[in-house]
Amino acid sequence: MIVNHLKLLVGGVQLRDGVVTVSDILGRIFTRAGLHVLAMERGYASTIYGAHQYDPMVVAEEPPVSWGDPEIDILVALDYDSNPDAKEQPNRDTILRHSKYLKDGGLLVYDSSTGDIATDTLERRGIKIFPIPARNIARDELKRDVVKNVVTVGGLFRLLEFDRDATHLRALLEERFLRKGREIVELNLRAAQRGLEVVESVLKAKTWTDAGYRLEPRPTKGPMLLLSGNDALSIGAIRAGCRFYAGYPITPASAILEFMEEHLPKFGGRAMQGQNERESIRAAIGAAITGVRSMVGTSGPGLSLKVEEFGVSGMSEVPMVIVDTQRAGPSTGMPTKSEQGDLFLVAYGGHGEIPRIVLAPATQEECYTLMIEAHHLADKYQCPVFFLTDLNLSEGRKVVPESFFGQQAVRIDRSTLVRESDLRRDGSYKRFALTPSGISPRLVPGTVGGVIKVTGSEHDERGFVSTDPAIRKAMMEKRARKMEVYLDEDVKPPQVFGKPEGKPVLVGWGSTRPLLQEAQQRLRGRGVETAVVHFTHLWPFHTAAAKPLLEKASAVIAVEQNFSGQFADVIQTYCLVPVRRIVKYNGLPIYPSDVVGGVEQILRSGAQRVRVGVEAPAPVKVSEGD
Amino acid sequence: MAEVKPQKVSAKVWDENAVARHRIQWCPGCGDFGVLAALKMALTKLEITPYEVLMVGGIGCSGQIRNYLNGNAFHGTHGGALAYALGAKMANPQLKVITLAGDGDTFAIGVENFVHVCRRDPEVLLVIMDNGVYGLTKGQHSPTHGRGMDIKEWSEESPPPFSPLRLALTAGATLVAQSFSGDPKHAAGIYAEAMQHKGFAMVNDFSPCVTYNKFNTYDWYKAHVEEIPAGHNPGDPNAAWDLLNDFDRRGRLPLGVIYRNPRQKKAHARLPMWPEELQETDVRPLLEMFR
Repeated sequence: MIVNHLKLLVGGVQLRDGVVTVSDILGRIFTRAGLHVLAMERGYASTIYGAHQYDPMVVAEEPPVSWGDPEIDILVALDYDSNPDAKEQPNRDTILRHSKYLKDGGLLVYDSSTGDIATDTLERRGIKIFPIPARNIARDELKRDVVKNVVTVGGLFRLLEFDRDATHLRALLEERFLRKGREIVELNLRAAQRGLEVVESVLKAKTWTDAGYRLEPRPTKGPMLLLSGNDALSIGAIRAGCRFYAGYPITPASAILEFMEEHLPKFGGRAMQGQNERESIRAAIGAAITGVRSMVGTSGPGLSLKVEEFGVSGMSEVPMVIVDTQRAGPSTGMPTKSEQGDLFLVAYGGHGEIPRIVLAPATQEECYTLMIEAHHLADKYQCPVFFLTDLNLSEGRKVVPESFFGQQAVRIDRSTLVRESDLRRDGSYKRFALTPSGISPRLVPGTVGGVIKVTGSEHDERGFVSTDPAIRKAMMEKRARKMEVYLDEDVKPPQVFGKPEGKPVLVGWGSTRPLLQEAQQRLRGRGVETAVVHFTHLWPFHTAAAKPLLEKASAVIAVEQNFSGQFADVIQTYCLVPVRRIVKYNGLPIYPSDVVGGVEQILRSGAQRVRVGVEAPAPVKVSEGD
Repeated sequence: MAEVKPQKVSAKVWDENAVARHRIQWCPGCGDFGVLAALKMALTKLEITPYEVLMVGGIGCSGQIRNYLNGNAFHGTHGGALAYALGAKMANPQLKVITLAGDGDTFAIGVENFVHVCRRDPEVLLVIMDNGVYGLTKGQHSPTHGRGMDIKEWSEESPPPFSPLRLALTAGATLVAQSFSGDPKHAAGIYAEAMQHKGFAMVNDFSPCVTYNKFNTYDWYKAHVEEIPAGHNPGDPNAAWDLLNDFDRRGRLPLGVIYRNPRQKKAHARLPMWPEELQETDVRPLLEMFR
């Protein structure tokens, strides 16, 4: 019997089958039961209806180190109709795609409304099969199609011997449906009971005493939350004092816009859906000129359209936090697939040279804490601060204790702003004063006693346009100096796990940290000792901290979800050490086994670069939009 | 930028914190001088102080006007001026936000902003210095090029001029006006009225480019402009369209407020920005939905 340790995958037809509904019910109830849920991989398509969708989820007693490998313990197939492309009929899309990842002894739950399917090969691997005619039960017995998902949930809970008295399920249903009437709640509970009965009849017929898996509730110290990176970074921005947000609809950043539109006004702020990507960032810059902490969010294609404004923010020294929820590019690329392909765009994008800071959180928790830091840094250094997440981190969900959000003392420091009372009124204030730190005290329009002239053209200390060579030189150096101060005062060194001396060092940035830690554990189990060096503060590159660490390694191996190894190039440039790469760019997350295999191949063959993820789940062609 | 000594607002205050008059980099006779003079007159008349003004300049000769008079100023990308102005006004409604740009900036590269700012209706004044050319880059055609020309054949490369007034009406602007920088006093009256408008106000100002537009000259405009008749009702959209059709039919250009119809709008306060306004932010109510 496996207790509180499994990976589950729910699949079906997008929009129609309720994949999100089922995984949301499961995720919330498991969270309330004190279990840890990690659902980072997002298997949806850029279409509203009809494509295959799947949601994998790790459920465990302790916080899982990472999302693990594609192998799953339990497969829940919600689709009830056959895939005409399959050789064996009838067959279900979800089963065709994912059953090969079912572990021996695992469980398959599928909707058998249109008949049973041949599962001999799976059964030979000890997989227990549970056909539940959920759609038929919902439609014919309960007269409500939509409750089919709850039939499946009821069956699944019975399999897992979880929530036997339906306490959790009842509570959740009451929260959602009581306002529509008690009979809706009771109907759903009957649906769950019917699912339970079907599973019991299968167990009885097969003379199985149990399914081999069990989930048991665990006590928690306080409420636990299941939230996404986009949720966490939005809350972080509000906590940090961001009061203006603008965005244009784009996957996977739209959720930030929706969150801000709903909640920012409660804090006195405003959130605006731009008419295009440029209006969004320009309006946000306009708000920032007046002193308001301001932010935009987008993804690759939108960021490409915003590039011109990077220079405006850098040159006019108007602070701006720019969230890039990276997705697979280039061009429209794969809108619903994750990638780490925008590092060069945020570090180098735009004509000319400007000061800029690039941060990349690794987890939902860091989406919150690092966002607070991002607004502080933008304010202090008066430049664009890029916040790089990716689709899986932004949309993927994880259990975080509610108490986490109260742990950090947040001090809103706006000491670089000039107040009316600070003005000496002797004509000496200069918006772009050449200070030793390069940071000039910032007056905002509306302050009685002073005015500012601000421009993206080169300018003198008072903000008047100038092409005087001496002024140009002094101003370029002033702006650049801010980044030297940043590297002295505010940059954070990479996190180091293990001792890099004489060992292969796995280097990563952003959302891959959990994965690198799991790969490190597995490699240790196979007799390969490695160290992990993980960066959240990517740019300007912290050479002083990175170089001594990486020089000691026997091999530096960057693990990145892009084609070329963009961060590897940065490290190589600044640290002058050769960097090997394990790269994956097929749209799927990097799995620990990818890294283990890649490292072993590099150590065995001395390969410079290993491209992993060649064996993707067999695609079934569905036309997608953008 | 130097501080402004508190004083009674006089016409002279607008010359402080500005590029010295003899260093203004417009060609002698440039129409933008008239716009500058009219702007100062309007601001003085309304007793606005430089501190509360935020001018957002477009790219080109016209946008330089922001540095030729006192008041806060911002200058960013080509076509972006109205969007910066929108954000600034949303964040701090106490500011008097004035966007100053050319017809190329507003109607070519920036038309996406113009159309939607008309809809959004922020309390922002836009003065377009309409000269039919891109002067700073030495005379290429802008969207209003060809006004009044007798051209028999048009091409994709060289299409007919575009009507700022008609686009503004179509897009939902709540104040649409036209002025002529050759008559700054008259223009100042229009600016002053537009500055007091509770919503987005567009003033298209004929501001001749004496160097690169040899057709739409001061004399040409003087021969073609005509004040809107006293009986015109700017609150009536049909009257506005009728007026435009009538002037077009007669080959004349109307000067004055063609349309003015303020919308009912939700009031907003200045957005919180100081530590004392932000320090106690309690995000706990946001967390419950994730339990």
